[in-house]
Amino acid sequence: MSKTMSVSSVILSCISAVLLGVSIFFPWWGMNFIAPQYPEGLDIIVYPYKMDGRIDIINGLNHYIGMQEFSEETFPELTYLPYIVGAMACLILIVALVKRTKLMLMLVALFSVGGVLGLYDINRWLTTFGTNLDPKAPIQIDPFVPPILGENTLANFVTHSYFATGAFLMGASYLLLVYTLWRERKK
Amino acid sequence: MKKLVSAVSGVLAGFLAATVFFADFTNIGSQSSADDSTNKSNAEKVYVPFGKLDEYYLFASGGHSGQMFIYGVPSMRHIRTVPVFSPDSATGYGFDKHSKELMGDYTWGDLHHPAFSETNGDYDGKWLFATDVGNSRAAVMDLKTFTTKDIINVPNTSGPHCAAFVTENTEYMFLPTRFAVPIGREYASLDDYSQKYRGVMSAVTFDEKSEKLNIAYQVALPPWSYDLSDAGKKMSKDWAVMTTYNTEEATTNLEINASQADRDYIVLFNWKELEKMVADGKYENITGQKMIFPEKQKGGIYLVPVAKSPHGVDVTPDGTRFIASGKLAPAMTVFSFEKAFEAIKNKDFAGDRNGIPILKYESVMEREVNPENALGPLHTQFDDKGMAYTTMFITSEIVKWDPNTGETLDRVPVQYSPGHSVAAEGDTVSPDGKYIIALNKIAKDSYLSVGPSHPESMQLIDLSGDKMEVIQSAPVNPEPHYAQMIKADKLDPLKIYPKEENRPDSVWKQEDTRIERKGNEVHVYGVAMRSKFIFDAKAKRPDVIEVNEGDKVFIHLTNIDLDQDITHGFAINSYNLNMEVQPGQTNTIEFVADKAGTYPLYCTNFCSALHQEMTGYFLVKPKN
Repeated sequence: MSKTMSVSSVILSCISAVLLGVSIFFPWWGMNFIAPQYPEGLDIIVYPYKMDGRIDIINGLNHYIGMQEFSEETFPELTYLPYIVGAMACLILIVALVKRTKLMLMLVALFSVGGVLGLYDINRWLTTFGTNLDPKAPIQIDPFVPPILGENTLANFVTHSYFATGAFLMGASYLLLVYTLWRERKK
Repeated sequence: MKKLVSAVSGVLAGFLAATVFFADFTNIGSQSSADDSTNKSNAEKVYVPFGKLDEYYLFASGGHSGQMFIYGVPSMRHIRTVPVFSPDSATGYGFDKHSKELMGDYTWGDLHHPAFSETNGDYDGKWLFATDVGNSRAAVMDLKTFTTKDIINVPNTSGPHCAAFVTENTEYMFLPTRFAVPIGREYASLDDYSQKYRGVMSAVTFDEKSEKLNIAYQVALPPWSYDLSDAGKKMSKDWAVMTTYNTEEATTNLEINASQADRDYIVLFNWKELEKMVADGKYENITGQKMIFPEKQKGGIYLVPVAKSPHGVDVTPDGTRFIASGKLAPAMTVFSFEKAFEAIKNKDFAGDRNGIPILKYESVMEREVNPENALGPLHTQFDDKGMAYTTMFITSEIVKWDPNTGETLDRVPVQYSPGHSVAAEGDTVSPDGKYIIALNKIAKDSYLSVGPSHPESMQLIDLSGDKMEVIQSAPVNPEPHYAQMIKADKLDPLKIYPKEENRPDSVWKQEDTRIERKGNEVHVYGVAMRSKFIFDAKAKRPDVIEVNEGDKVFIHLTNIDLDQDITHGFAINSYNLNMEVQPGQTNTIEFVADKAGTYPLYCTNFCSALHQEMTGYFLVKPKN
């Protein structure tokens, strides 16, 4: 592995940085609720810095099973996540410009750790909300943890969890970086 | 041989008799299967499966129910009843503050003729106007919310039957009257009818911003009955026409006495000219109104003689002609605006009546149209090719005819006695064709019997083929007089009210709910949500309102479930109060707590699985 990155690797890394930076402005993750009387579906849409969708209505329905209300204020991550992602994008850009392969390798490692932590965080919140149900709720159900990805059935609702545009951009950014280093391995 | 002949003829006679008595001639093979397949295809024409929506809205006047009925076409399904002039506990109309103020002291109305707002002579889908013949009022309904926004009392008038009709760009809605009364509705002997009574017409404007109706000016027309009307279109857009009866000025037994003269009149007026007269100060201030007296402030108004006691007068879509329906004379008369304008220009008058110039019948009339044996023509609508459709009350049919030639093109029987009809956008500058609905006054045995009181009947007629065909019948509450049919995509109703956080008296967060006392007034700022009322979040029991006997209570309730079709109701048991709060709406109810005691309150509109639990208490402490 050479110490400095080739021109093409620098370009690829820059693209990776841009993809990551842009991903902040797109939704990363979402959950869609469908019930017989909500055939059009209700959405929770999570951006790195905000939440969208029909949060009030979902909160209103969730109170029947004693789930805590949630809002943007509930999740402190939304206040600092965009800066972390932005900083990461900047770091990739800087390292690409100084062309240091080793530093880039460290960044990829950091990126990987961040990704795993992110997934852990989503799962932590899903567990918190699904299992801390108010025992005085009018409808008693067993605690549950909705999956990060895929389908779940709860009472009259079928939920679909999914990763969205922002997550795919971030994934592309990550894979591009890994591919760049893979190309650099023989040099 | 003789025996054989008599035996054979006896058997034959027996067969013949059996055939005559028992055979069912109504069910002869091919005929019945043809009927079956016609019925089947007619059923397909009106069937709107779940997930699909009707193509047109039908707004049918509710007559003396004081309400407006909303139907879907072609399914002819009744979708909603919107209260306008009568209280309606189902929606809390006449109970909540705003609608109670609109209703005043009236508890009923006779909603006659609805009219959509127009832009360039076409429906713009924004507002619907309606008149109350019972208590002389006019109203406006918002087509975003399907609720009544304003009601105006019309002074000097009694029964604006001859309305409502709007001008090409909704500059005015005119309200001519059915009954003549003295100015100010003061007492005057009927012996002085011709001198002291007047048939006052009002020119009403509507301010879209403030959502208020206002009377711009009035015209003290002669003491006749004004029946129906229409505004001009295109070349005749500055003009309007209305029919009269009882130009005999009879004061009793009108059935006979108002049917004596061979001719009554169509009043033809130029509203632009009247507007200018008012701007120039050519009017008198009477009872707070700007009143034009045609015999003193001359101009802009003319009389056209017409076969006696006409009912409808309708302007063709191209605006060149107006058609009077004879009612008592079995003919429609086609008049030409161009000829009328020419006669007015040349002052080709045949004298005057009550100071209003009379145009000569022959110089304005284009043709009389008299379909064979068709009796009781009442009202005319138009299709996309400009063909006319006239209801025949007495012979129970609709006649299609060509206003250009007078030729009868088709006739279809309806069951029974149609008053008005309404075609798809059939009174605009661009009718759609497709459908016409007969608004029948007599239903008789058309539907399952509900005793001596019958529904009215609306029949949907397909206009797409060569022949008119009745394809559906639908019962309707008494009673549609006229209706408006508008393409559904011209309307864009709200699904929920917008969350306007600055709206007066609204509360959007549970923790902001509160009960404030000011002297003997109690103001409740509460929320309704699935499935609870919160009047004061900090109270021991947030869903309880406690007041003193004699307090004036103001309950402001905001429905913070911003979710489609999650309506909450609010009623206090035994207090004769109920209102609705739609998603995102703030509604207010005001009353005096004049009965001490304990009164449960509850949500009246089923809202959720725990609707039954959506209750609270209204406690009134006795004075001593």
